[in-house]
Amino acid sequence: MTEPVPRAVVEAFYNALAGCDMETLAPFLDDNVVWTISGPVDILQFCGQHSGKAVVLKLLDRDIPLLLEKRRLYPESMVIDGDRVAVLGKLSARRRDVGHAISYRIAQFFRFQDEKVVEYVSLIDSFDAAEQVLGRPLVRQAGRQAENSDFISV
Amino acid sequence: MAYKVPRSVVEAFYKVYAARDVDGIAELLDDDAQWDISGPVDLLPFCGAHRSKAEVIDLIGRQIPMVLRTFSFVPEAILVQGDRAAMLSRQSSRRTKDGRTMSYRVANFMRFRDGKLMENLSLIDSFDVVEQVLGHPLARSNGARRGNGDLVAV
Repeated sequence: MTEPVPRAVVEAFYNALAGCDMETLAPFLDDNVVWTISGPVDILQFCGQHSGKAVVLKLLDRDIPLLLEKRRLYPESMVIDGDRVAVLGKLSARRRDVGHAISYRIAQFFRFQDEKVVEYVSLIDSFDAAEQVLGRPLVRQAGRQAENSDFISV
Repeated sequence: MAYKVPRSVVEAFYKVYAARDVDGIAELLDDDAQWDISGPVDLLPFCGAHRSKAEVIDLIGRQIPMVLRTFSFVPEAILVQGDRAAMLSRQSSRRTKDGRTMSYRVANFMRFRDGKLMENLSLIDSFDVVEQVLGHPLARSNGARRGNGDLVAV
């Protein structure tokens, strides 16, 4: 059976992830970590499945910043249970090309082994995120454009 | 002393929710339950904020089945800590209007009090869900449509 992950390890890891501190983050990633971000890859190029520590570090340190800069995670709720951790939070950033502020909800699920992350899955409100990255509403079936009130603030 | 929800209560809730057993859900809902689903309300009318037990029951028992009927809800992770629980699940449904099958991941972040659910926030890969509900890809900024391989299977 896998050992429970200590809260101190989780907090140290998550603080590094939230602040994009790659130097501190790197030791918390298993060499074979699998990092999955759910979403439309053609709009949010960082989505998809990424395998291996080097690939994940490149994703976080180079690939995502090509699209989003000043990225920061704001956790609202964290649940630690055995070797698993779930975080509900918000990701805020700026689009690198035009400087628009972007903010969307994110659910993150981590699995630790020997105090290192071996598995990561995140779900984001990808419709909201895609519209913000595109800078316009996505085409609706009936041609109706989205209004601010279409998106709930929860 | 802070309330700690027993794992058995969380699992009982999961069981009735997975089965969309409205009577069973009602027994485990607080009268002031809050249920939020993140996503575009104009395309997925069941998204948004739902307040009170009656509204949540109406949501699960009537509003959602008007769009889709869930036949499988498989847990990948259920985490419990203190008064909170987090779940990552794979949901499979059929569109009500034509029976077309849909499948996507759902994250639930819940808070309990005295053995009843007080709060739930559901996060889905909303872009993916919208496309599956509409039955066609959403238009991209450059007008390109994507192929089947662009959607992330997570």
